[in-house]
Amino acid sequence: MPMLDVQSSVASLRWQDILDIALNSYILFRLYVLFRGTTTFRVLIGIALLWIVQRIAAFLGLIVTSWAIQGIMAVAALIIIIVLRNEIRSVLQAKNLKTILWGIPTRVGQTPHEIIADSVFDLAKKRHGALLVLPGKEDLSDIVQSGLPWHGVVSREMIASIFWPDNPVHDGAAILQKDRIAQVGVILPLSLRQDLPSSYGTRHRSAIGLAAEKDALVIVVSEETGHVITTRGGQITTTRTRADLIRQLEAHSGVLGSQLEARKQEILKLATAAVVAVLFVMSMWFGFSRGLESLTTLDVPIEYMNRDPKMEILETSANSVALNLSGSGALIKSMRPETVKVRLDLGKAVVGSNTFTISPENITVPPGIILKKVTPAVVEVALDVLVIKELPVQVDWTGRLPDGFILTNATVTPAKVNLVGERRILKGLTTIYTEKVPLDGLTQTGSMTVNLALNPASLKVGSDSVDRVTLAYIVKKRVPRDPATEP
Amino acid sequence: MVALVMITFFWGGIAIAQNGDAPATDGSAGLLLSEAVMCEDIETYAPVNRAVVFATGIGQVVCFTAFENIPEQMFIYHSWFRGDELITTKRLTLKPPKWGTHSKILLRQADIGPWRVEVHDQQENIITTLRFSITE
Repeated sequence: MPMLDVQSSVASLRWQDILDIALNSYILFRLYVLFRGTTTFRVLIGIALLWIVQRIAAFLGLIVTSWAIQGIMAVAALIIIIVLRNEIRSVLQAKNLKTILWGIPTRVGQTPHEIIADSVFDLAKKRHGALLVLPGKEDLSDIVQSGLPWHGVVSREMIASIFWPDNPVHDGAAILQKDRIAQVGVILPLSLRQDLPSSYGTRHRSAIGLAAEKDALVIVVSEETGHVITTRGGQITTTRTRADLIRQLEAHSGVLGSQLEARKQEILKLATAAVVAVLFVMSMWFGFSRGLESLTTLDVPIEYMNRDPKMEILETSANSVALNLSGSGALIKSMRPETVKVRLDLGKAVVGSNTFTISPENITVPPGIILKKVTPAVVEVALDVLVIKELPVQVDWTGRLPDGFILTNATVTPAKVNLVGERRILKGLTTIYTEKVPLDGLTQTGSMTVNLALNPASLKVGSDSVDRVTLAYIVKKRVPRDPATEP
Repeated sequence: MVALVMITFFWGGIAIAQNGDAPATDGSAGLLLSEAVMCEDIETYAPVNRAVVFATGIGQVVCFTAFENIPEQMFIYHSWFRGDELITTKRLTLKPPKWGTHSKILLRQADIGPWRVEVHDQQENIITTLRFSITE
């Protein structure tokens, strides 16, 4: 049954729901992107877990637990805003609108390899000689001498200062281990090879000497030419670009491709975060839409459709029906009455009484709303055809004639009119009356035009008749009567 | 609701119907309606103050009808309607060869409105209809 519920919920998704889920998923994803690694993010994760626990508690009927977690969540939200406001501000202020809305801030800073490569080419540009040793797996302590411990973090400024010509240790080698400069002013063993170019000085020979003995990578910046060479094992390579040097450094340290890998990892992490955000918001949506299901009763007027124009509806057993509807509280609350319609097709109705059973096909409800019950489920509709009937016209006098006068005759022209209306109504009518005609002030014979009082309003005057008649009347003085014969 | 007093008597006058449908004849018996009129009263066998509007202060309304060519003693009927509601029907005797007869109602405030009296025979053939109003 729960699976069926989910299926019916998915089937009844409105475009508003899809937009709702997409929008909130994106907001959640952006929060992850902006706040990952911060304390705020960890607190948000905590609140999300609390919400899940609270939903489970509510589902299991653990009233106090659910209530307590709700309280904790409310306080936690307050704590985030108050305690972590500086962190939130720094995250939001440090980024421009584009970064906040859709940018993916890179988390990978400059690697030591890049710093080393930049520093080497800075030195080469300035023709400052330099000798940098990046040890491999083998220990160098047995063949190097006179090194001064340094233990400084690798930076361009640091390397530049070490090999500054006036620095006492600038002629020695600097040994780099990971992101630190371990020793400076180190004396390396000289190579005794005879096949080296004559342009190679002491630095080059030292580098080649060490590289020949150990698995270290040695970088040499020539003071005379500004050329950069690297040597590892017996191989000497002239390095012309920064990228080449970085590649060699990465190959040496065994991290070649690690950045690509890191980028892949980053994309995978973001994709996972996006999927988790969508799943989380969808679960929240289902929680709201299904978990908070509520019922409502709506009185909806019945719309009678496709009536034969020759027929009129005489009587209906119900003009409206009560619909019991269910759906999420939010949907029920936002439902507008005009979106719920009950329509009965009178296309096949006949003169007389017709019985209609109101089925779901007759009822339109907004997506996500489920019809539970219709009351009444059966409606009787009586139809009749329009007929024409000729009726005499009678004046409907009102008021009072002035004393001493008597209205002896009144003639209406035309004396009869044709009326069109429902057979049931016209059947009971024998006379059509005029609108009220006041007697007050009538002392002389005369005539006037008077409207017919068409009641009920569904009555119409036939096309060959008029809805106004001419009234001619005769007013005379009253004959004085013998008081003895007064009634 | 309405007190009705009916008086019948001989009548030999000749007149035309007032504010009513044209006098009709009863084909089967040759009966001829010589006069049909609404009035305030009857004096010396004649209608007094023929009218189509009657104030309640007058106290009564009379429907007077006179027939000729009456072949034998028979009955006619005065049916009083207020609007389309039948208030009362009175049976009146006609005797050969001419006869005048009338029915009347006493007026009350509740009777205000349009009225009509249908004069018909035993077969419910309407001989004439007299229309009038009762006002304040």
